[in-house]
Amino acid sequence: MAQLDQAFAALADPTRRGIVVRLARGEASVSDLVGHFSLTQPTISSHLKVLESAGLISRRRVAQSRPCKLVPERLKAVTDWLEQVQEIFEGNYKRLDALLTELKQAEKKERKR
Amino acid sequence: MKPAEASLPSDTEVLVKRSFDAPVKLVWRAYMEPDLFRRWCGAHPGWSMPVCEMDMRVGGKYCWRWRSDENGQEFGFTGEVLEVALHAKIVHTQIFDAGDLGVSMGGEPSIITVTFQETNGITNVTTTIRYASKADRDAAFATGMTDGMEVSYKLLDGVLGEM
Repeated sequence: MAQLDQAFAALADPTRRGIVVRLARGEASVSDLVGHFSLTQPTISSHLKVLESAGLISRRRVAQSRPCKLVPERLKAVTDWLEQVQEIFEGNYKRLDALLTELKQAEKKERKR
Repeated sequence: MKPAEASLPSDTEVLVKRSFDAPVKLVWRAYMEPDLFRRWCGAHPGWSMPVCEMDMRVGGKYCWRWRSDENGQEFGFTGEVLEVALHAKIVHTQIFDAGDLGVSMGGEPSIITVTFQETNGITNVTTTIRYASKADRDAAFATGMTDGMEVSYKLLDGVLGEM
C-alpha cells in the first residue's frame, strides 16, 4: 500500500497533477517542464522526485538529460477508482435530475394557482 | 449537465462535483427531506430503502438502510450532523454498517461535506469524503469503493451479471 499512498499524496498537489497532464501528451525533459510551468528547476525537480517515488513517472538517462514519462499502469489504478466513484455518484445524480425537474414543474403549477 | 467529476484534493479526501439545472432551494430540499432524498439516493434499481430517517439539524442523527430485492440482504449508513448552513453547506459523519454483506470498511467515521452554490438557476454541488485515516482510504481504494454504497452496488452488479 505504500506506493498507493504515495500516488494519492503525489496527485493531491495541483502542480504535480499539471505535470502528469503534460506528460500524458508525451515525454518531457526537466527544462521543458520548467518552461511550461514557469517554475524554477529545483521546484520542478522536487515534484518529479515525488512523482517518481510514487511510481507515477519514470526517467531514463539520455546524455546529460533525464526525460520523464508517465507510467500509465500506476496512474490507471487511481483513475479507474475515481471513475468508479463518478459512476456511482452519477447514477444517483441522474435520478436527482429527474426529481428536480418534477419539483420545478410542481412549483410552476403552484405559482399559476 | 456534465457528468459527475471525481478528484483527489488531498491524500485522504475524494471530491465529487456536479451541477444541477435547478435553484438551490430545490436541490437543498432533495438532500434534506427524507421523502425526497429516498427518491433519488434510495432508488438504485434492484434495491429498496426500508429505513430513511433523517434529523438534519446540528447534533441530529440519520440512518439509511437499503435492502436487496434479490436476496433481502441489507446494508446502511448512520451518522451525525456536524454543521448546517441553509442552502449552502452540510457536514456530517458517516459510518458504514455492512449489515448482512459482511464487508468491512474501516472503523472510524468518514466526514462528508456537501456544499451548494447557485449561479443563474444552476446549482453546483460538491461532495467531499474525508477518510478518517490513510488506512481507511486505502481500504476503500483496495476494494474499489469510496464508501459502502459501492460494496452493495458492486455485489448487485455481480448478481445481475449472473442472471
